[in-house]
Parts: sequence; C-alpha cells; structure tokens
Amino acid sequence: MELDFCIRAEGIKKKFKNFRLDIPQLDIPKGYATALIGENGAGKTTLLNILTGIRLDYEGKLDYFGTYTDKDRESGKLKEQIGYTGPGNYYLPHWTIRQIEKISELLFDNFQKERFKQWCSELAVFSGEEIEWKKKVRELSDGTRMKLMLAGVLARDTKLLLLDEPASPLDPLMRDKLCSMIRDYILDGNGEKSVFFSTHNISDMENVTDYAIIMERGKIAEAGFVEDLKEKYLLIKGEREDIEAAGKILYSITTSPYGFEGICLADRMEQLSGMNVSVEVPSLFQISVAVMKENSRIQM
Amino acid sequence: MKILQNSGIPIYQQIADSFRGEILSGKYQQGEYLPSIRSLARDLRISVITTMKAYEQLEAEGLVTAVQGKGFCVNAQDSEMLREQHMRKVEDALMEAIQSAQIAGLTEQELEQTLHTLLQMKGE
Repeated sequence: MELDFCIRAEGIKKKFKNFRLDIPQLDIPKGYATALIGENGAGKTTLLNILTGIRLDYEGKLDYFGTYTDKDRESGKLKEQIGYTGPGNYYLPHWTIRQIEKISELLFDNFQKERFKQWCSELAVFSGEEIEWKKKVRELSDGTRMKLMLAGVLARDTKLLLLDEPASPLDPLMRDKLCSMIRDYILDGNGEKSVFFSTHNISDMENVTDYAIIMERGKIAEAGFVEDLKEKYLLIKGEREDIEAAGKILYSITTSPYGFEGICLADRMEQLSGMNVSVEVPSLFQISVAVMKENSRIQM
Repeated sequence: MKILQNSGIPIYQQIADSFRGEILSGKYQQGEYLPSIRSLARDLRISVITTMKAYEQLEAEGLVTAVQGKGFCVNAQDSEMLREQHMRKVEDALMEAIQSAQIAGLTEQELEQTLHTLLQMKGE
C-alpha cells in the first residue's frame, strides 16, 4: 500500500530527569486518522507538543507534508495548515468568546467567522441559540471548552489536525459526533487531509482509527494500520490445563482458575496446535492493552 | 448493507461479501465505480482503512480494478473469468489438503478415497 506521510519525524529525542523520549523514525500517514495510544506518562503529550511546536527544546528532524521543516512552523504557510486542540489553556481563561474570535482572526488568515459561528451552533457550545459573546473561557466546563476549541479549529481551512486527548472531556454523544467530524474532515480532504489524535478512549475512537501508534515509556512500542495489527495479533482463549504451555507462547496472557485469555502473535499460532483454544480477531483496545502491558512498569 | 459489529466475521469481510454479491448479481455494471473509500467509511461509520481492505480484497479477486486517482472500477464479469477464479480457489484448497495428507502420511489412494467419500456425503 502506498504510504504518503503528513509528518515524518527522525531522531526525535528529549530528556527529562527520569524520562527519555526517543523516536528514531515516525511517519504519520497522509489522508488517514491516526491514534496515539499509551499509558499516562508514556510521552504522548510531549510528542504532540514537539510536533506542534509548543515545545522547542528537542533534538531531531521534522518534515511536514514533504515540503516544510520545523523551522518553517512560525512562517505563516505551515501554521495555517495545522489545527491544534489540547488539554491546556490554548484559549486563556480570561478571554471572552468575542476576544477568541478576534484573536483567531489575527492569528490565522484562513479563520472564517461565519464557520466559527456555524460550528458553535452545530456543537451546541452555548445553551441557547445565540453565541454568548461576553462569556469567559473560565466559565465553561472542560467539555464545552473542548467543543469551543474544535469549533475554532474547524473554522479554518487546514490540512492536518493535531488533537491532544480530544475525547477525554467529552460526553458519549459528543464523542460520537467527534468521530463523525473526523470522518467528514478526512472525506472532505480526499486523501489530502489527516488527523492525528492522542486518546485513552480507544473503544470510543476505534471506528474512526485507521492507523495506530502505541507508545510506552518514551518509545514507539507498535505502529501500523489497524487492519494489519488485527492480523498480526490474535485473541486466544483456552482451558486451564494449557495455561503453562500457552504462557510460553502467547504475547500476553491473563489467567483465571477456569482458563486463560491472551494475545498471540499470528506467526506463533502454529505452536498452539494441539491445544483446545478459540481464536478471535481482537479489538484495537485489546491489542493496545496487550502491547502496553508488555512494556509497562505497572505490575498487573 | 448491514454491518454487524460482533458477528465474528471481520467488518472488511462483510463489506467485501456485500459488494461481491452486488457485482456478481449485476447490480454494478462493468465500468461503474464503487463508492469512494472515504465516503463509504463515512456512511458506514467505520474507518477508512477497513473499507480500503475490503476493496483490496475485491481487487485481488479480480472483480474490480483500482484506477489511480479515480477509485475502484468494476471489471467485466464474464463467466469464463469467474470460472477461472473459482478454479484457482479449488486448486489452492486441494493443495492445502495434499500438504496435510503428506504430513499425516496418507497414501495417494487414501487421499482420493477421502475425496470420493466426501463427494458422496455431499451428494446425499
């Protein structure tokens, strides 16, 4: 399958006191929705902050759309093409909605006031029909603030959305809407628009995820198209008497007094022959948990 | 098209099966394009890569051809070609059976006997 990238990262390194981000090579595919998955503290936000340019103290090379480097991020052209939402105070707490609109217009040539209003109403950012222009960001709930940021990002013509934990503060209905919005964005781009988002809500986002990157302890533990991962990893269930033998073969295993369940790499499946096991296609959630477990310091 | 989330059949397989049925029944004519992968993903509320995999399977079966920049175009479905495709499947399956038979140490005669027995059972 041909794989164009929207961002290519090479030799990205960032050292903290007790943590080291080390990514020799990473391609985020163009025209798809990519999920960044990993434990708390795995380095997801650090990576996103490096890609967005929020954090500038790192080593390594970044290539955007095969045209720009990280040096171009402040030059208008690249900035205009990227939309970002995050957990921090992207909009300052004391800003009013009117100020956000004005500031966005100043910051981005392609910010369209009408579209901002449309999105605010489509996402029901405000309880009434009208936009409450005098309302301050600090008066909004976390979920509403996220909706407002999404409206701000979608009011612009961009080619790439970098979303740090967009689903976390949202309710189930709005998460569903977020998935639709991502699909519409990808469809509208016809192969040119991409979305890269970090998430803990893997199950909620699975149906919109084309490519998954699983990070653990500052490194990329697994990356691939979800359909390929579902062929590489298989969900196995078996009986108690095979626990010990299966434990040596499976990638990850959970046992109970009644049997076991685990993930097996497809190329090791032959070694399970003779055991009474059932084989299922795992969900992205199940694959992610298995990969995370293998690389985690949490004792399960 | 109905997509079942927990049927045990992979979603891409369900999509491929559905389009295969429609192509073979003539609902899609030669030269017609399947819906674009991204619009199908949007409409079925699934990921793009899943629809892509479904179409790639149809392409591997020779039912459609990927046209650069335009999508997936339905091929002529003449019976000769379909027969050819099914023939290939039969050969693959038989080859697998032959390999298993060798592992099990079956003689050629025993293998042929097994095939005859199975054919008889199927016929009854």
